[in-house]
Amino acid sequence: MEPGKQRKGYLGGLALIAILTGLYWGLVQAPPDAYQGEVQRIMYLHIPSILTAYLSFFLVFVGSCLYLWKREKRDDNLAYAAAEIGVLFTALTIAEGSIWGKPTWGVWWTWDARLTLTAVLLLIFVGYLMLRSLLEEENRAATSGAVLGIIGFLDIPLIHMSVYWWRTLHQPPSILRPDKAPWENIHPAMLIALTINFVAFMLLYFYLLSLRFRLGELHDEIKTRRMSGGR
Amino acid sequence: MKLLRHTALLLWKDVRLEMRRRESLLTMFFFGTLLLFVFHFSFDLAPDRMVETTPALLWLAFLFTGTLGLAQLFEAERGNHCLDALLLSPMDRGALFLAKTGFNVVLMTLVEIVVIPLFWILFNLRSWDLIPLLFLIVFLGTVGFCVLGTILSAVTLKARARELLLPLVLFPLMIPVILATIRLMENVLRFGVIGDAAPWLRLLIGFDVIFITVGVLIFDRVIDV
Amino acid sequence: MLGPNGAGKTTLLKLLAGLLYPTQGEILFDGVPLTRTATELRAAIGFLAPSDHLYEDLTVAENLDFFTALYGKSPPKAAIHHALQSVGLERWSNEYISALSSGMKCRLSIAKWQLLEPSLMLLDEPYGVLDGSGVDLLEGFLKAQAQKGHIIVIASHHISRVLQLCSRALILHQGKLFFDEPRQQPWESFYRAFGEFMPHNES
Repeated sequence: MEPGKQRKGYLGGLALIAILTGLYWGLVQAPPDAYQGEVQRIMYLHIPSILTAYLSFFLVFVGSCLYLWKREKRDDNLAYAAAEIGVLFTALTIAEGSIWGKPTWGVWWTWDARLTLTAVLLLIFVGYLMLRSLLEEENRAATSGAVLGIIGFLDIPLIHMSVYWWRTLHQPPSILRPDKAPWENIHPAMLIALTINFVAFMLLYFYLLSLRFRLGELHDEIKTRRMSGGR
Repeated sequence: MKLLRHTALLLWKDVRLEMRRRESLLTMFFFGTLLLFVFHFSFDLAPDRMVETTPALLWLAFLFTGTLGLAQLFEAERGNHCLDALLLSPMDRGALFLAKTGFNVVLMTLVEIVVIPLFWILFNLRSWDLIPLLFLIVFLGTVGFCVLGTILSAVTLKARARELLLPLVLFPLMIPVILATIRLMENVLRFGVIGDAAPWLRLLIGFDVIFITVGVLIFDRVIDV
Repeated sequence: MLGPNGAGKTTLLKLLAGLLYPTQGEILFDGVPLTRTATELRAAIGFLAPSDHLYEDLTVAENLDFFTALYGKSPPKAAIHHALQSVGLERWSNEYISALSSGMKCRLSIAKWQLLEPSLMLLDEPYGVLDGSGVDLLEGFLKAQAQKGHIIVIASHHISRVLQLCSRALILHQGKLFFDEPRQQPWESFYRAFGEFMPHNES
C-alpha cells in the first residue's frame, strides 16, 4: 500500500478508536447534567461539531488565500474539500442542536444567536458550493470560490457580533464563560468526555478531509490525462 | 491620484450611459414603488407598530431594488467587448470596483430619495423631521450593500442561473448591514436620536470600510475576460 | 502571425495584451515582466479589435475622450479632429456608435489608436470588415507606426497582404510555434512550412 494510503488508514483507525472512546465517556462515564438530565449528553457531539465547522471555514479561508496568491490547484482542492466536509459538520450541528432543543425548550427551532449563526454558516457554505458548481470554467470557478471564501470568512466575525447583539436567548455558554476558567464550570468527568470527543471529531474531520482532498487530486489527474492523452 | 481619477472617469461614463438609456434607473424606481403598494395591501399595519415595521419594509424594498441594479451593473461593458477594452488599459482594476460600486450607490440613492418620502405619505407617518437622520443611516447601509454586491456581481458574472445565485450568496453576508440599519432606524424612529444604538453605527461603518478595502485589493482577481 | 483556426493566435495576442495571464512562464517587455500590477506597461500596448471596444451609446467624440483620458492622455480638440479627419469620420463626431457601420467602427478604432500611440500594436484579423479604402487606411496607419519604431503584430488569414506588409512571419499550430523567421527573398523555408501547416491555401 502506498504511504499516503497507509497514513490515511492509520488516521481513520485512530479516529474510530477516539470516537468509540468518546462515546463511552460521554454516554457512560460522565454524569448526567443536574438540570437537563440525560439529554444534555448530546453536548459532547454538538460542541465539537460546531467547532469543527468553524475550523472548516478557516481552512476554506486559508486555501482561498493561498490559491489567489500562488494559483496552485492543491490549495483550491483544500478549500473545496474543506467546504464540502464543512457543510456536513454544520448540518450535523444544526440537527444535533435541534435534537437538544426539543426536550429542553420544547421547540425544534428557535431564532436564538447560536442556532441562527450556525444556520447562516450553512447558508454561506452552501452558497460557496453552488457558486462553484454553477461556474463552467474551472479556473474561474476556483478564483470566484476563493474570493467568496475570503469575503465570507472576513464577514463571519461581523455576522457573529450582529446576531449576538440582536438575540441572546440561548443559555450563556456554559464552558466558555468569560468570568471563570473553562475547567471550573463543569464536572471533571464531563470535561474529560468533552475533550475526548473534541479530539475524536478533529481526527474524524481530518480523515474525511484527507479523503476528499485525495478525491479532488485524482479528479484533476484524470482531467489532465484526458486533455493531453486525448489527441 | 490615478485610482481616483480613473474611478471618476468610469463613473462619469456610466452615468452618461444611464442618462441615455435609463434602463436600470427606471426599472429600479418602478420596482421600488410597486413594492410599497404591495406592502400596503399585504400587511395590516397598525399605527403603533410602525416603528418596528417601517425599517424592515423599507429595507425589503431597497434590497430587492438594489439586487436589480446589481444584476445589470456590468451590462454596459458587455456590448462590443468593452470590458476587454477596460482591462487592456492602464487602469487599476480597483478603480473599476469603486466606480461600479459608486454607480450602484447613486442609483439606489436616487430611488431611496423617492421611496422614503413616498412611504411616509402612503403610510401616513408624521415624523418627517427624522428623515434626514434616517437617510444617513440608509445611505451607510446602501454603501455596504453595494460594496459586497459589486464584488459578488462580478464574481457571478459568468455563472449559470446568475439571477438566483447572486441573492443566494449575497444576502447571508449582508446580515450585519441589515441588522445594524434596522436597529438604528428603530431607535431613531422611537427616540429621535441614535442613542444607545451607537455600537450598531460603528459596526456598520466598520463593515463599509473593511469591504471597500477588500474590494479594491481583490477586484483584480475577480474580474477577468 | 499565421496558423489554422484554433492554433492559439488569439490566445497569444491576448497574452501579449495582458488580457490573459500565463499559467507558466512570463512575458517580458524590454526585460520588464507583464504582470497584473504592471499597469504602466499597458499604456504602451494597443489591441485593435476591428469593430469592438467602443461604447454603442456614447458618441464618437465621447468615446475618444473617454479612452484618451483612460490612457492618461489629454490631446487637444484639434488633434482629435485631425485624427477623425485622417480616417474620414470628421463629420460623424457627434453621432452615436450605434449609427456607424462596422467598417466605420474599424476606422474609428484606427483613429483611436493613432491618438494613443502604443509602442506595441496587436491586431486580430483586421481585414475582415474593411473595404478597399479602409484597408489602405489601416496599412498606412501601420506603416506610420512602424516607421516610428513601434512594433506591430498581426494575426490574419490574408496571406497575400500581410506577406507584403510584414518583416517577420510566425506560424502557430496547436499552441506551439513552428516557424519564426524574418522576411527574405526568396523565402523557400516559409512556403514549405506554410504548405505543411496550413490545410487550405489562401491566395
